[in-house]
Amino acid sequence: MAIKIEKNFQAPESAAEVWKILSDPRSVASCVPGAQVTEAVDDRTYKGVIKVKLGPTVTDYKGEAHIERLDDQNREIELIGKGQDVRGKGSASMKMIGMVRELPAGGSEVVTISELNVVGILAQMGNRMIQEVANQMFEQFSKNLRQRLQQQASGAAGSAVPEEVKPIDAGSVAASAVLGLFKSKPKE
Amino acid sequence: MTSKRAVDITVKVNGKEHSAAVEPRLLLVHFIREYLGLTGTHIGCDTTNCGACTVLLDGRAVKSCTLFAVQANGRELRTIEGVGNTSALHPLQEGFKEKHGLQCGFCTPGMIMSACALLEKKPHPTEEDIRWGISGNLCRCTGYQNIVKAVQYAAEKMSASAPQA
Amino acid sequence: MLAKTSPEIGGMGHPIKRKEDLRFIQGKGNYIDDVQLPGMVYGHMVRSPYAHARITAIRTEEAKKLPGVLAVITGEDLAKANLAWMPTLFHDKQMVLATGKVLFQSQEVAFVVAEDRYTAADAAELVEVDYEELPVLVDPHKAQDTDAPILRDDREEKSNLIFHWEVGDRAATEQHMKSAPVTALVKAFFPRCHPAPLETCGCVMDFNSATGKLTAWITSQAPHAHRTVFALVAGLPEQNIRVISPDIGGGFGNKVPVYPGYVCAAVAALTIGRPVKWIETRSENLQSTGFARDYHMEAELAADTDGRVRALRVKTLADHGAFNAAAQPTKFPAGLFSICTGSYDFSQAFCEVDGVYTNKAPGGIAYRCSFRVTEAAYLIERAMDVLAQELKLDPAELRRRNFIPPEKFPYPSPLGWSYDSGNYQGALELALEKIGYDELRKEQAEKLKRGELMGIGISSFTEIVGAGPSHTFDILGLKMFDSAELRVHPTGKAIMRMGTKSQGQGHETTYAQIVAQELGIPAADVAIEEGDTDTAPYGLGTYASRSTPTSGAAAALAARKVREKARKIAAHLLEVSEEDLEWEPGKFSVKGAPGKSKTIQEIAFAAYTNFPQGMEPGMEAVHYYDPPNLTFPFGTYVAVVDIDKGTGEVKVRRFVAVDDCGNIINPMIVEGQVHGGLTEGLAIAFMQEISYDESGNVQGGTFMDYLVPTAVETPSWETGNTCTPSPHHPFGAKGVGESPNVGSPAAFVNAVVDALSHLGVKHIDMPLSPWKIWQILKEKGVTQ
Repeated sequence: MAIKIEKNFQAPESAAEVWKILSDPRSVASCVPGAQVTEAVDDRTYKGVIKVKLGPTVTDYKGEAHIERLDDQNREIELIGKGQDVRGKGSASMKMIGMVRELPAGGSEVVTISELNVVGILAQMGNRMIQEVANQMFEQFSKNLRQRLQQQASGAAGSAVPEEVKPIDAGSVAASAVLGLFKSKPKE
Repeated sequence: MTSKRAVDITVKVNGKEHSAAVEPRLLLVHFIREYLGLTGTHIGCDTTNCGACTVLLDGRAVKSCTLFAVQANGRELRTIEGVGNTSALHPLQEGFKEKHGLQCGFCTPGMIMSACALLEKKPHPTEEDIRWGISGNLCRCTGYQNIVKAVQYAAEKMSASAPQA
Repeated sequence: MLAKTSPEIGGMGHPIKRKEDLRFIQGKGNYIDDVQLPGMVYGHMVRSPYAHARITAIRTEEAKKLPGVLAVITGEDLAKANLAWMPTLFHDKQMVLATGKVLFQSQEVAFVVAEDRYTAADAAELVEVDYEELPVLVDPHKAQDTDAPILRDDREEKSNLIFHWEVGDRAATEQHMKSAPVTALVKAFFPRCHPAPLETCGCVMDFNSATGKLTAWITSQAPHAHRTVFALVAGLPEQNIRVISPDIGGGFGNKVPVYPGYVCAAVAALTIGRPVKWIETRSENLQSTGFARDYHMEAELAADTDGRVRALRVKTLADHGAFNAAAQPTKFPAGLFSICTGSYDFSQAFCEVDGVYTNKAPGGIAYRCSFRVTEAAYLIERAMDVLAQELKLDPAELRRRNFIPPEKFPYPSPLGWSYDSGNYQGALELALEKIGYDELRKEQAEKLKRGELMGIGISSFTEIVGAGPSHTFDILGLKMFDSAELRVHPTGKAIMRMGTKSQGQGHETTYAQIVAQELGIPAADVAIEEGDTDTAPYGLGTYASRSTPTSGAAAALAARKVREKARKIAAHLLEVSEEDLEWEPGKFSVKGAPGKSKTIQEIAFAAYTNFPQGMEPGMEAVHYYDPPNLTFPFGTYVAVVDIDKGTGEVKVRRFVAVDDCGNIINPMIVEGQVHGGLTEGLAIAFMQEISYDESGNVQGGTFMDYLVPTAVETPSWETGNTCTPSPHHPFGAKGVGESPNVGSPAAFVNAVVDALSHLGVKHIDMPLSPWKIWQILKEKGVTQ
């Protein structure tokens, strides 16, 4: 199941500040809920894990992310990640393009365009569920990224060891996905 | 059964009190079927769609597969076993027999419980009322037409005589 | 002519209330999940998330460590006992538990057994499987491409083609296609759907090591066949296997196959020494058990300018999923699909079918129909409408011009069938009268002027049921006869055991009515038993509308054997010769002296207390019936629909179903069957599909997405009958349980296309969801 997700958010920091974090896979990973980089194979390839909870189902994906393209000048990064659930519940792969643009009035805008492909149990939940999980993950990611930017700006030392950020509990995701379906109630 | 019992509950089922120690995650339908041995309530799906597990909780029709047994603590439950028996059938049960409202019988207990709740609220339902009232209960055999007739039969019978509990 | 019995006796034609209802309305049915045995444990299946992948490792240690877990069985374990694979019901084999690789999402990979359900489910989560994903094949049209992944490396021939089958006269048909003044073509896909009976599949396996006997409680539509399969596959002596099918919550063909869960539970029961219960969840049921249809069909008709058809050419691609688990007993890989000439008199026909493997659940089964008959009926009924549209002829008139006339029966069809009897004209006329056809056409014309969309769809189908004669039918070699064993007690009550197995069809009532008809013993006094292979005579089960044609016939003939013995006893009691006796249901009387008579009850008593010297005491008979031919129920259905231009929603305003199933045992039960089948047809036409995305993920794998109509979506059905008895059946009956599912999809689709034909629409594939219809309306510029 291939899903396209386009998300963007704005930050008060400059494009250069934002790019510092976005161009470093370890920093990016530290913002993704439930993710952890476990090994740097080389400067473009990283191994890691990500935990996604959907109600009682926990999926631990283990895999690899590879930087296909890193364009410092235009501040664009292209990442391809692929992982398999450690217990054999399925797999997921993602291609993400991230860009940072300077905004005319100051601050910057982060744009991400991702293509996500899920195989397995989660995929049976359907497009809308996965979309919701992705939405929630991105919400949390952008929150974490903003936090990081503030830390960076205030001079707080970036952690050498990336903290493991709590995974999204997509149980609440499920609820919001279902509620989303019923937002526009048909006429009784 | 494993010894993972954690919570004490007491539920009044069909007029009789039952106490048990259950896991918090034990579904109410499993409590009814396995702890109480009342197997008239059935399981037909895993996404709360089919209604085969419908029972009355404090008089309200609920899907027992989507409730935990602990949520029924201190409350009153009515299952198909508490509706009527061979020597004294409930008008709904009579109606289902008279009007051929069942074929394989699997959806029947849930249907009857939903219809019970419906007739409590609407003793003189229109056909539309009945169809909406049982829309939470799926049937694969009958096409619903005779089920509607069965409920109409019961509604008539119940309003003619004193309403049964 | 059938003798008329009194309502007290309740023979043929009486709408007596069902005897089995009493336990169901009290919730005292005995379904598989109600079976509780001392020491019983629970099984839970670990399933593949991938549609196609190699298994590189399975780790079960964590699962085994969980307290309460008794066993974790993998394909490797089964392979040691030669049980990793089992034969399917159609010349193929399927994996019980995956070894080497998995071939469809949700395929069985490991079986966990634990003290209770919850622990078993927890443990299943702890089983770790390493997979290496392989390229996925979900489009059957690509199955034979040179670069298509070969799915079955267990087969000698490295190809995804399962079979190629041809029937009819290709050359003669081609000739007609070339020379006929009119041809019409339709490409019709019958989507993959699923019977989804309300009760899922399951079993309780209980092995008694002291007696060596395995008692297998199974949701089985064919308990004896299952017993024999178990004996052959597991190497257990057949007399030590007892299969019990208790009450079954709907079958519709889904409960014919032997599923991996049954085999795993049996193995677990044998090794653990405790009864093992395995009940699948609804998701498992929809995603791994017998699906139906998935036929990509193409039909071309050659006709004269007046609409008189000459020839039919059919080409079909059959998607069987990962294993050919087609549950069908004919010699033909596409079952009875060659009934696709339908109710029409074609001079020539040719049909070819290619079956292929894909990374989907295996099958297909006959979902509330005879084998592949729904696909065939749908195709020809759509094709006739396409031809009618082409010729600008009224679809009812086109059918009239082409029906096989009554005098041509028994009718030899160009694809090899001999139709026993039919009066298609009669059914059509009655249906049109009931629906008020002419007025509806006027209304439609008026509505069209105002831009309102209304459609009328006709389906004049012919079914072919009652499998089946031994020359054409067998399941794994077992011929498709069926049986009845009747025993009358001293007090004149009786018990009859059958080789069939009801899943809601009302056999406890209808079979009793056959005995009532033949012997005059009140139906209320006849107990009917089915489903226990230790006591029931061998039969091939209930599906494909075969019970009345086969076991029903056996019941009548067994009863007649009993009646013959009764005559002898009556002659003895009345001290006359047999020729001096006349029979009416319930008693023998002396001709000319009606006061001198003996009731069947008195005769029954005498069979144990006062029988003639030299006669074998008792009063019973067994009959195994090998049907000489199939039976051909038929009918005409008419659907009237209105389409909402704003939403694309189709509302079925009216539906008339006229069925002809020959002589009817219980009209109340027949009507109920028709209601149910039409509702299933409605679901298939408008809201159901099991599809797969390009990675092989199942879409429509739960009731959230695989929609079952509720009482709100389901319209009121109007039914009627004509009666054209089967000349070869002992009481002229044909079987009817499935006709409504066979004939109705075409009626619905024909109606919707009819509503849109003025916009140039010729065909729309099912399911006709509001989204699909709305898109067409948008494309044609007529949305509101």
